[in-house]
Amino acid sequence: MSENKTEQKITIERSYRASVEDLWDLWTTKAGIESWWGPDGFTTKVLKLDLRAGGELRYEMTATGPAQVEFMKRAGMPLTTKAQINYTEVATHRRLGYKHLADFIPGIEPYDVETLVEFHEKGQDVRMVLTFDAMHDEEWTRRMSMGHESQLGKFERVIASK
Amino acid sequence: MRLRIVETLRKGEQAVNDLVDKVDIHQSGVSRHLRILHEAGFVQSRPEGQKRLYSLRPEPFREIDAWVANYRSFWEARLDKFGHALRRKQKRNLTKRKESSK
Repeated sequence: MSENKTEQKITIERSYRASVEDLWDLWTTKAGIESWWGPDGFTTKVLKLDLRAGGELRYEMTATGPAQVEFMKRAGMPLTTKAQINYTEVATHRRLGYKHLADFIPGIEPYDVETLVEFHEKGQDVRMVLTFDAMHDEEWTRRMSMGHESQLGKFERVIASK
Repeated sequence: MRLRIVETLRKGEQAVNDLVDKVDIHQSGVSRHLRILHEAGFVQSRPEGQKRLYSLRPEPFREIDAWVANYRSFWEARLDKFGHALRRKQKRNLTKRKESSK
């Protein structure tokens, strides 16, 4: 662990009685991504999909559920939000890695999260393992020291300091 | 190293000796890390007999746990949708296969 970059990892696992091809399709095709990506009550439209390490996925999410439309209006937010992720690793049917800016958690400053999705075939099942790394870089630390101090930032500085 | 001490303390109150065993560094190192964590307000201690027991102070960790919990529940919900989308896809595959075999 270096001094100016600390991580917080979360792992989530799910198993599916499915082919790895179907799972991969849901993650990596326009129709697949649009069928599940995004919160409830929002529809996702893929604007650009460049599936390779260094490529990007650009998409927009639009509130369509009545409750979500109402919520966004009341919060003074536009119904459609554009977002993107940047692929870091694309190994067909095995591993998919990407980075994105986590800016959807209220009260928490945005920062990069690196996600890795691994697919492990076992008989008729596929075990899907998602690992999230919250990357807190110098920029994060700088913002923290500029009055955005939080316990999380403080904790990470204490953990990382020599 | 300090993170390992914190992770070990997450399991509960510990004496320095137990920490030394678990994180596998020299006692003087553990004591130094504990002192820094204590000064920063993350760790508290209390005497018990000859020993001093160390534990995490809960307050600063609530916020961190909230972040992890938020992120996790966000993805749990997303994966529920993923599961539904997968079942729809599998149904469509089945229909297609039936149609093509007619």
